Amino acid sequence: MISHARPLSGRIEEDSWRLRKDGSEFLAGVTLTALRDDAGELRGFGKVIRDVTDQKASEAALVRREHHLRSILATVPDAMIVMDECGIVSSFSTTAEQLFGYAKADVIGQNVSMLMPPADRDGHDGNLRAYLQTGVPNNIGNVRVATAQRANGETFPIELAVGEASIGGERIFTGFVRDLTNRHQTARRMKELQSELVHVSRVSAMGTMASTLAHEINQPLTAIAAYLETTRAMIGETEDGLLGEIAEALELAAAQSLRAGTIVRRLRAFVDGGDTGFKAERLDTIVEEATSLGLLGAHEAGVSVTMTIAAGLETVLVDRVQIQQVLVNLIRNAIQSMASSPCKELTIVTAPDRDGWVRVTVADTGTGLSPDIRDRLFEAFATTKEDGMGLGLSICRTIVEAHGGRIWAEAGATSGTAFHFCVPLAGAEDV
Amino acid sequence: MSESTRTVHIVDDDEAIRQSVGFMLRKAGHSVETYASGVQFLKTATREMHGCVLLDVRMPEIDGLEVQARLAEQGIMLPVIMLTGHGDVTLAVRAVKAGAIEFLEKPFERTALLAAIDEALSQAGRNDRGQLAAAEASVRLAALTMRERDVLDGMVLGRPNKLIAFDLSIATRTVEVHRANLMEKLAARSLSDVLRIAFAAGLGEAHPG
Repeated sequence: MISHARPLSGRIEEDSWRLRKDGSEFLAGVTLTALRDDAGELRGFGKVIRDVTDQKASEAALVRREHHLRSILATVPDAMIVMDECGIVSSFSTTAEQLFGYAKADVIGQNVSMLMPPADRDGHDGNLRAYLQTGVPNNIGNVRVATAQRANGETFPIELAVGEASIGGERIFTGFVRDLTNRHQTARRMKELQSELVHVSRVSAMGTMASTLAHEINQPLTAIAAYLETTRAMIGETEDGLLGEIAEALELAAAQSLRAGTIVRRLRAFVDGGDTGFKAERLDTIVEEATSLGLLGAHEAGVSVTMTIAAGLETVLVDRVQIQQVLVNLIRNAIQSMASSPCKELTIVTAPDRDGWVRVTVADTGTGLSPDIRDRLFEAFATTKEDGMGLGLSICRTIVEAHGGRIWAEAGATSGTAFHFCVPLAGAEDV
Repeated sequence: MSESTRTVHIVDDDEAIRQSVGFMLRKAGHSVETYASGVQFLKTATREMHGCVLLDVRMPEIDGLEVQARLAEQGIMLPVIMLTGHGDVTLAVRAVKAGAIEFLEKPFERTALLAAIDEALSQAGRNDRGQLAAAEASVRLAALTMRERDVLDGMVLGRPNKLIAFDLSIATRTVEVHRANLMEKLAARSLSDVLRIAFAAGLGEAHPG
């Protein structure tokens, strides 16, 4: 009797394609069952055929989706950690393994606080409990910066985003962790560079003031000395007592005006600085650092930057910070001049100049220079900006001239302005 | 010497300088012409012009060095005395190399300017100065120590003291001491004297520019 039949040796299940009468195909789930009588004699086989085309398709889609998801998670640069509502880790991604230096097995089943510096651990458990009790999210849904700890005990800055999901009534938390070490290092380097620049711009401003002072004050001093010495000479040798005293006074006054000139000169020499700063430096590094400083905030302004560093001209003999100051000034000026230009292209090029010198060019596609300002461009207190002191370019000139180089401006190829300056290459013996 | 050969052409954008220096030179017996810019002077300058030129280095439009270069291009052989608001080795080297008689820092002493002008006027029209000085210059250079020669080489290249100090791995202060010593040995009163002697002896020729 079929109803009493019982399988003795299991059954066979297979999926295979079958053909319908109308010629269409379907995926069949085939089950073959051996049918036996009471004595266990084989009576025949029961065969059940089900159309499983749709079921298989959705299963395959599910597997595909899961693969897809996994491949996404594997390529996300962030480490992914899943934990339950007690803080116990249930999933630890490959990126997380690399980041924290733990194997999956070390972490799964442990409290997630093992990934935090000891000082933060209790706080985390407390936060989690508080959230579960009050329902007021503390860290869920937003991105925050925190500190994490690697297997070797090293702590490092991270950016942490935590999401919450409820699956089958079970609450899970997924955390995405991004390593901020590099970003912090970059930020710190930027800060260092900036504070160096602030310092050097103060010193250079002093140097420029002294240099401008020297020029401006030496002019009247020259005139004073010329008048005094000439009138003294006009008196010549005299027997007249009064005239003789006047001559002596004129002579002394002339000497004092020359002395004032010497004082101004010394001030300038002092500000120009003694042994500071000149070293063999890589020009490409100087340009790149200065460019990233000068461009802070410029990408929102839609400026595109092209940098071309000539080969074989890498090592220059300069005060790095001072030359970066020059570059940052030129780059900032360039960006400002392009504020209202439809086309904003900043080009920075290094090229060979006369023997032993390399020329650096900063070109923009901005408004260009009016002829009346071009002549006074590098003079102190000449400015086109309402809020400008007019010291930027004169500082640039002071710095470049202190390097023995020169700085000049010309109209750009199609529009805008190109600023050029030269710095000395380091000889083979300097490196 | 005729009046025209004693004419001093003062080119300076500062009126006070043109007036005061003009006053000084007229009282010293020179005839004086003044120009408010290099452009104005170049418009007037001809090959037939005599005397010498007092050129301010830093002027708008074209600077003193550029005026000097254009004079040479046009074959105008007027002796040049450069005046500068602040001394700068690089500028001095370029000016003296281009043939300037003297490079004076403002404010200058009357005697220094008059001496330079006398020298300039006595050389006006002659062009044998370099040849005459060559043998003498080599003799003077021979008196320098190795280090002093190194410093001189740097000066000839127009390198500031700081760079010379770096090149030689010595302190800037030490470079200054060497400079003072070598000036004394060369019997040079000024930087331009030093440069003239060095160029006369053939230094710096391998490094044009």
